[in-house]
Amino acid sequence: MAAAAVSTGVVTALAVYPVKGLSAQRLDSVRLNAGEGVPGDRAWALARADGIYRAGTRRPVPKAEFHVLVRDERLAGLQTRLDEGSVLTVSVGGHPVLRADLDTGRGRGQAEEFFARVLDLPVGAEPVVARESGRRFTDVSVVSDAMMNAVSFVNLASVRALEERIGSPVDPFRFRANVYVDGLPAWSERSIVGGRIRVGEVALEATLTTKRCAATEVNPHDARRDLPVPRLLQQHFGHVEMGVYGEVREPGEVRIGDPVVWDSDA
Amino acid sequence: MPETVRAIVHRRRMLTSRVCRLEFVRADATPFAPVPPGAHVTVQTPDGHSRSYSVTDVTAEGALAISVLREPSGRGGSISLVDGLTEGDEVRLGAPVDAFPLAPADDYLLIAGGIGITAIRSHYRHLMATGHTSVRVLYLVRTRREAAYVEEFRADPRVTVHESAASGRFDLWPLFETPSDQTHVYCCAGEALTEQVRRLTMHWRPSSIHFESFLGVDAVGALAAPFEAVWQPSGRRVAVDAGTSLLRALRGAGIPVASSCESGTCGTCVLALIAGEAEHRDLVLDPGERESRIISCTSRAVGSEIVVGPLTR
Repeated sequence: MAAAAVSTGVVTALAVYPVKGLSAQRLDSVRLNAGEGVPGDRAWALARADGIYRAGTRRPVPKAEFHVLVRDERLAGLQTRLDEGSVLTVSVGGHPVLRADLDTGRGRGQAEEFFARVLDLPVGAEPVVARESGRRFTDVSVVSDAMMNAVSFVNLASVRALEERIGSPVDPFRFRANVYVDGLPAWSERSIVGGRIRVGEVALEATLTTKRCAATEVNPHDARRDLPVPRLLQQHFGHVEMGVYGEVREPGEVRIGDPVVWDSDA
Repeated sequence: MPETVRAIVHRRRMLTSRVCRLEFVRADATPFAPVPPGAHVTVQTPDGHSRSYSVTDVTAEGALAISVLREPSGRGGSISLVDGLTEGDEVRLGAPVDAFPLAPADDYLLIAGGIGITAIRSHYRHLMATGHTSVRVLYLVRTRREAAYVEEFRADPRVTVHESAASGRFDLWPLFETPSDQTHVYCCAGEALTEQVRRLTMHWRPSSIHFESFLGVDAVGALAAPFEAVWQPSGRRVAVDAGTSLLRALRGAGIPVASSCESGTCGTCVLALIAGEAEHRDLVLDPGERESRIISCTSRAVGSEIVVGPLTR
């Protein structure tokens, strides 16, 4: 594709995922600081009891060490939100079933018991509520600490291109991005790595396209693994990418409706 | 259809305007053996339809009964059975399949939607016959008049019959609000009620919630069968059930296998294929590589066994 050097679109949605693998929380605006990601994004996670995560670790932990949608699609059947940085609320069909303050030992215990049941884990294999100050449990945290703090973008035109090719709707929230943009050419995000992303007053360096895993197979509405997204991408487009990561270089506020510029020549 | 027996329609009776009870006897006059609760059987009709139905019961005289809802909008199997069969007609029956078994539990909650009562009634009769007392049945129907076997449950304190035409939608939430590890839930119903039960039990242990399903369908829609993997370095045998990938089964057995995409596209979890035939479901290996390698996150064994090991490049 011969993408123009500069393309302009618009921010259509903003989201943060306070607990890795759990629900998106929509935002109207977000403050981005240089070298940092969306505040609170993937600050918490549910570590596998038999895994390598230990409290106090300063090293990146691969996603296979956590309970996430790659394997545990049932997590998508829960509606969760985190308030005040640590109070986790879980609902089922609109009915609250857990409220736990993860900053307290009691709250973590309640959450661990709750998720052990949801994930059918035996006694002794309860997940460990993980949090490490200054770190976030993003998939790309294993690439570098800078990537750990990258902001993820998904281009809705590319999602539509996939929908059209497979003849089936694809919820963009399968891709769990921080920033959703529209009005840009499909797949144009694949040619801006090394270039600039300007969103409102914020500038980011586009650093990496996002290779997709089986987590995207899970329908975020009914928790069914109903669409083999990576396989469909490979079959129809010859790659498994959807989205791009950017590292914040110039800080500022990002709001829904802000203009987005992909500048591959920057 | 493998291993069918010839059977004769012994008795045919309309239980409601649309539900037909069919009792079959074997053509060789030997009685049908009792079947496990919740089992289903495949019926092959003279005009070539082949459909699976829950076994309602096996009568004292050894006749095997099914109950068929005539569905004008279905694929034609139910109409073929309800309208096309009369007493004395011959059909072929597959061997009963124990596909909706009861797990041992302290407490049971059985939920039937409409014709789903046929499997749930089979569970309920079994639990009563084996002395269980902590059993609740919820039978959701549109109207009593359309509800098969409903008269059997009159005055049974364990059974709640709810008529949605008269009383509106039943509020299931109070049943599920507080999850219990002692209770097992069984649901046989149409898509809408099944989905509602599934959604309202997301905070329960999934192993406590059971739905009637006729096929082992894997994550992305293809048929999957269980098999056994032999890990060559140790000779260790690992069972891979229909709902588990080879990768997960090996990991579950403590065998470390690296992975990344877990969807058959990246190749990280490749293993050496040493013996046995593989059903390759990846998008990584070329035909030559498929002779000696397998992508363990999506590919499976064709037969009952496959021998794999770490790939030495």
